[in-house]
Amino acid sequence: MIAEEPRVDATRVTELAQSLETELARLIVGQKALLRDTVIALTAGGHVLLEGVPGLGKTVLVRSLGQTLSMSFSRIQFTPDLMPADIVGTNIIGDTDGRREFHYQAGPIFANLVLADEINRATPKTQSALLEAMQERTVTVGTQTRPLPSPFFVLATQNPIELEGTYPLPEAQLDRFFFKILVPFPSEGDLLEIARRTTGDSTPQLKSVADAGAILTAQRTAREVPIAEHVLRYAARLVSATHPDRSELDSVRRYVRWGASPRGLQTLVLAGKVRALLEGRYNVAFDDLNSVAQPALRHRIFLQFEAEADGITADRIISEILEHTAKEPASK
Amino acid sequence: MSSLEAIVRELRKAARRALGARYAAHALVGAVAWVAAVMILVRLVPFERRAELAVLGIPVALAIAAAAWLIRRPSAALLMAMADIRLGLKERLSTAWERRAESGPLDDAQRHDAVQHAARASLPAAFPVRVNRGEATLVAILAIFALALALLPNPMDQVLAQRQADRVSQARAAKAVADAKKKIADSGKPSPKDAQIQKILQDAQAKIHEADSPRKALESITPAEQQLQKLADPGTPALQSSAQNLANALSGTAAGRSAAQAISTNPAKGAQSVRDLASQLQSLSPKDREELAKALAKASQQAQNSQMRDSLSKASSSLQSGDAASAAQALNDVASQLDSLQEQENTDQAVAAAINGLEAARQGLAAQADRDANGQGGQANAGASPSAGASGNGNGNGTGNGTGNGNGNGTGNGTGTGGTGGTGGTGGTGSNGSGTGSGSGAASTERIYVPGQPVPGQSENDPTPLGPGQDVPLSPYTQVIEAYQQAALDATDQSLIPGSERDLVREYFSQLGEPRAAK
Repeated sequence: MIAEEPRVDATRVTELAQSLETELARLIVGQKALLRDTVIALTAGGHVLLEGVPGLGKTVLVRSLGQTLSMSFSRIQFTPDLMPADIVGTNIIGDTDGRREFHYQAGPIFANLVLADEINRATPKTQSALLEAMQERTVTVGTQTRPLPSPFFVLATQNPIELEGTYPLPEAQLDRFFFKILVPFPSEGDLLEIARRTTGDSTPQLKSVADAGAILTAQRTAREVPIAEHVLRYAARLVSATHPDRSELDSVRRYVRWGASPRGLQTLVLAGKVRALLEGRYNVAFDDLNSVAQPALRHRIFLQFEAEADGITADRIISEILEHTAKEPASK
Repeated sequence: MSSLEAIVRELRKAARRALGARYAAHALVGAVAWVAAVMILVRLVPFERRAELAVLGIPVALAIAAAAWLIRRPSAALLMAMADIRLGLKERLSTAWERRAESGPLDDAQRHDAVQHAARASLPAAFPVRVNRGEATLVAILAIFALALALLPNPMDQVLAQRQADRVSQARAAKAVADAKKKIADSGKPSPKDAQIQKILQDAQAKIHEADSPRKALESITPAEQQLQKLADPGTPALQSSAQNLANALSGTAAGRSAAQAISTNPAKGAQSVRDLASQLQSLSPKDREELAKALAKASQQAQNSQMRDSLSKASSSLQSGDAASAAQALNDVASQLDSLQEQENTDQAVAAAINGLEAARQGLAAQADRDANGQGGQANAGASPSAGASGNGNGNGTGNGTGNGNGNGTGNGTGTGGTGGTGGTGGTGSNGSGTGSGSGAASTERIYVPGQPVPGQSENDPTPLGPGQDVPLSPYTQVIEAYQQAALDATDQSLIPGSERDLVREYFSQLGEPRAAK
């Protein structure tokens, strides 16, 4: 006899996501996919790396998200001279009752929502300060490990064109990001709307639509979404297909140096579950996996130099994998 | 749960319909492909029951498709997954079915959602009954191809017709042999070698019937004829001659006149009369005895059979010495020899009848074998050598005027036999033998002695005096024919001569031997 789980109201997750998207859309013009992916990552409890040229609203998006969520928000501007202690905090000497002793001064990482702006401008040492925080959701300073607030959500931005004086994120750091979202240049219509909204005498004021508790509930609910075995196998086939030694695709064997990690599969499935809920469904479909495959896998596929020389991108590799991976129906 | 099972039932029903249509289409493709394959096959290999073979594939293909349709039962999970994909249900049904027994926080909602969406969808549409365009095109192409092959002339038709003709020919030949058997059995003149003759004919009939072709059947006839010829007694003519001489001698006596008539009628009656005469010797007058003794002495002198000569001589001398008992005993010996002659004549007649039956079979088989040869290899043999001897309607091949003698006009197709006992040219193998082969000049240059009836007192084996213009002695052909035949057959066996030509040689010598055997 299987114990009956407490009933979960999945519609509230859908409503929450829709509220978030609607509220953010008041300030962010267009970029629906960007908003959808950001909400998916937030609901799944994952971190997001936003990549786009300057001026596309990456920072505005994160700041707006902070406004729509009743959660603590902090912004860290990553610069080459930024030190790890500037992020995670440090022990400083203070005066307590006439005694001088070390006190821990928490860094900006201690917030529900952290904006790591231009993360690739910091040195790898400083970038690595985020590793523990993003994966373990704890910070260790000295000998003491401190938990971060929950939910903990890092949104990092990076500029793909100004590479001088930047430090590309190492593979381990990239793998910690749930999604890597490319921020596209707005369409002409969107540009006009941006101009109208931001050049007037007033700008829209966003209201809070959710708090930390609602986000945590949504995260738990998303994990309960069932996924059929053959759909799960499809997700595994997708991830396997990114590896040159397992893929049947010539492009993968030729251009890919290393494929997605198991964390990529976890991301794919979890993001698929959230997307299913956002679509008003209670099960993961092939379409959900296909829809989240690009942001979930693009930063987990590491290409050869030859790919760069031939203008092959990870997105193109993923598209080919999606096109050629069979959605085999259940055989039982 | 029950709703999901109802969905599965509905999907299964639709899937069975769709699968049925698909397998029917497969069966149609298979059947038409089979017919086309048969049509191709019968153009490469002669096959008589082509229609039955072609039709056979249709029920077989249908049966296989039906069996596959019955055996193949897609699982419920597969049906649900297929329906998800085809109806755009976003894996709702397959997830619900897979987790139908689960009770997670969202499982009930998921199942409810799946059932709701399934209710809005047309489930049978997931498995539509439709004709695959590719299969339909394939069926059309194959059908047209098969029809074209069926309508176009088939080169194997000629082969089949030839086979049929071969079978008919062999059946007729076998019947001719069977008729000969029956004739011998019904003749009313039993001979001690009847069983052997019947056995030889039976074997020949079986071989003719079982042979692959008329040519093969022909090969079984000559050995049978040779076996039969061995059964004939070569001493029969000498004994016949002695008996006739005895009859001639007795006809001039008062006591032996009736015996002479009986001997002339047939040897068996003659034997009885001679026995009667032997029993009456005691009652004969001295004059009659002397007259009878002289006649017996004369017959003894003319007898070619040594036993007959001895018995007649003994009877004559005994009568002259007055020993009637010894004379009677000697005459009884003569009677026994006449009985023996009767048996030999019966055997010879049976052998002749058997050989006649075999020859009748040979004629039909040879004609068919020639037609076969022309039909199959006429193009290759056309004009191989000039057919001077026969101008048949068929492709004249083979040698023209061979070793004919006499002045007979050989009748066409291969083994023309001379019109007046001479043998025509072993000439052209016309396809239907309507040609008239003209006997060659061999008749005027080749010396072959044709024996007549030996004159009384002359043996057939005696050397014949030279004729006018003849510078070498001639031999009776009965002395040399067997040697000639053996030499010719040995030569054909050792040479690269086609079987049909070998048969011609055998047939030639068989025809030469026929009058002798019949006699």
